[in-house]
Amino acid sequence: MPRAAEISVNEREFILQGLKENIRLDGRPFDAFRSLELNFGDEHGVADVQLGKTRVIARVSAEVTAPFVDRKFDGIFNISTEFSPMASPAFEIGRPTEAENILSRILEKAIRRSGALDTESLCIIAGLKCFSLRADLHVLDHDGGLIDASCIAVIAALQHFRRPDVAVEGENATIFSIREREPIPLSILHHPICVTFSYYNAGGIMLVDANLAEEQVREGEVVITMNRHGEVCQIAKYGGVSVDALALLNCTSVALEKVKDITKFIQRRLEEDAKKRDVGGLIAELSAENAR
Amino acid sequence: MTSAQTIVLPGDTIAPNALPTSANPNKPLTLGPGLRHIPPQTITTTIAGALSTDSKKNAAWIEYNSGRYTPSTSDLVIATVTNSVSEAYSCTLTPYTPTVTLPHLAFESATRKTRPQLANHALVYARVVSASRDTAPEITCIDPSTGKSEGLGPLKGGMVFPISMGMARRLLSGRKGGVNVLEGLSERLAFEVAVGRNGMLWVDGGNVRTTLAVGRAVQEVDTEALGDKGQSKVVDRVLRGL
Amino acid sequence: MPLDTSTYALALLRLDGRRWNELRRIHAQISTQAAADGSSYLEMGNTQVICTVTGPAEGRNTGAGRSGGKEGEANLEVEIGFAGFSGVDRKRRGKGDKRTAEMAHTLSTAFSSLILMHLYPHSTISIHINILSQDGSILAACINAATLALVDAGVPMTDYLVACTAASSPTTSTSAGSDDVSDPLLDLNAMEEQELPFLTLATVGGGEKITVLVMETRVRVERIEGMLAVGIEGCKRVKDILDGVVRGFGV
Repeated sequence: MPRAAEISVNEREFILQGLKENIRLDGRPFDAFRSLELNFGDEHGVADVQLGKTRVIARVSAEVTAPFVDRKFDGIFNISTEFSPMASPAFEIGRPTEAENILSRILEKAIRRSGALDTESLCIIAGLKCFSLRADLHVLDHDGGLIDASCIAVIAALQHFRRPDVAVEGENATIFSIREREPIPLSILHHPICVTFSYYNAGGIMLVDANLAEEQVREGEVVITMNRHGEVCQIAKYGGVSVDALALLNCTSVALEKVKDITKFIQRRLEEDAKKRDVGGLIAELSAENAR
Repeated sequence: MTSAQTIVLPGDTIAPNALPTSANPNKPLTLGPGLRHIPPQTITTTIAGALSTDSKKNAAWIEYNSGRYTPSTSDLVIATVTNSVSEAYSCTLTPYTPTVTLPHLAFESATRKTRPQLANHALVYARVVSASRDTAPEITCIDPSTGKSEGLGPLKGGMVFPISMGMARRLLSGRKGGVNVLEGLSERLAFEVAVGRNGMLWVDGGNVRTTLAVGRAVQEVDTEALGDKGQSKVVDRVLRGL
Repeated sequence: MPLDTSTYALALLRLDGRRWNELRRIHAQISTQAAADGSSYLEMGNTQVICTVTGPAEGRNTGAGRSGGKEGEANLEVEIGFAGFSGVDRKRRGKGDKRTAEMAHTLSTAFSSLILMHLYPHSTISIHINILSQDGSILAACINAATLALVDAGVPMTDYLVACTAASSPTTSTSAGSDDVSDPLLDLNAMEEQELPFLTLATVGGGEKITVLVMETRVRVERIEGMLAVGIEGCKRVKDILDGVVRGFGV
């Protein structure tokens, strides 16, 4: 398959010249995200994130399995990513690119390792039964900023997801279907959000949320994952141009601002969605049962 | 001349009265892209678009906005040089497609010793010379009849903006295309443009601000499908912004 | 694996008897493998790494246009292998292991910006690293070993890339008594890595500028500054040690 067309000299020079004159291609300030949109599916646990032209969908699902032998008290949580050829002809199914590996590693570190999800709450009977949670991430359109968009999608989907209720009597566990009992939200301990910074001009210029063209021109990047409480969950700078330690610290404070905004945005969208579901939804169904 | 547009869908049969009527009955009817002749008399469409006819040439074809550009002879394109092989540059017109060739000598007054040296990923404005389905398409930067460049050649500076195929065709077809945003902007701004049928618009306004303003104005007209009024509004807004 | 760090507060000595700003013993050799163009062996405490460099040479996968890296530049391949006996329990790490792939990616992007790749178009430089024994700071050890092997292979680089780890432990100063104050630690071993938030950083030529920064554990943002400061200081010392190794070999 012919390789992706690399960005032309003219475009490269134009973008760099623009950045030196404080102009980005889409007219954004250097520290601004593209327009962020978040929608939830009809089912619980489906989040559709659009960051400019980039679009990713995350879906969380749960099933009951036996826990790992060495982790009897923990449930299982996995994140799997898939770059579909829908996003770009460069992606092939079943042949992960380096970018895909890095994306899934960073999500793994940002969300799983940082303990965003309380996996102990997924345990039903220690050593015998637990919930196995799976977040599937699909990239539908690729215009840069995949890591940031994916992280927002997974976090939003986890917050939106409801797992079935269970009742435990001794060794027996009953899993109630959605019709029998109101499903329960997951216990999420903190909400990590990734912010990617791109460097240009030997580290002198720093951009937030570069689009695909800007990503192709950049000299280095650092992905910082934080939550709104000011905890850094993960930092990944895999090389590229060298940056002053102070500039990196400055990045963390910019990231904190962005993370607070995005967390607030997700919260607002979740509340709007909950309000929408409340009207004639499950709650009304339950109340009809009570009247009988 | 294009008459009022008739929208056709694949499989539609073209009514005989919609076809051009030539003054000369001996001139055969020419069918362009998207039309298929089923003997004896039926003409059906194979793609969705607008039916266009030319009674002078006794021709009919379908104007459509396709996703990917397929080279056809005498199209103007903006190509990106990917590398240089012995006698020619290989260039890409669209991403993820096989390359097209641009001979080293296909430039104005180029000889073996004075051919232009193009770096990898440089842009050239060129015309498609041959495009058959069996060989790689060839492009050139000279008019074969005069040997002059006629405005073709390497593009220096500026910026390319992706536009839709339909927009590129409208821009190239001049007044008929119904795009007047560039004329509007040129009353107050000085800039150079080159339009490639492969969905690229190259703009050089001398500085970043002008170039971006022109490119984004055209892109906006394209994505919002703006008419005359909308376009003049865009022009007014852009000129006020600068 | 909870680790009892309470004794640290009393004697200000770490489990292995080091103070907060002490590196472990670094021992390194270059030109250890005769078959490779450049090679090195590096010990950082009980972490042992062996590294070979081949190239610049024509790449193995010489398909159309695939032999080199970007246009007119060399391609840098990095392969990292964990010996089966290197860890506490014998665990095989397959080729598809994402953590190993991430380490390899880190090394290849970090060194790509340092090696003068444009001197060798259409060629490949491959770095093979074998981890013989794991005891913390593995990524840092890999980077240091690769630097030495590249120097040995005579691959032109702008400067050394040196790395070390830094952590932040709960405070020992009784006066402050708040969570915001923390004590940084330098060069962690495996036990400390399990327990404390830490980061790996690499600087160019032991300077102030950071090329690689990888952190995988959750930590308060205020603590990062201290960790970075200690890490940069540590990198300077690692640079001097590696410098000594190279010079010593030249004599």
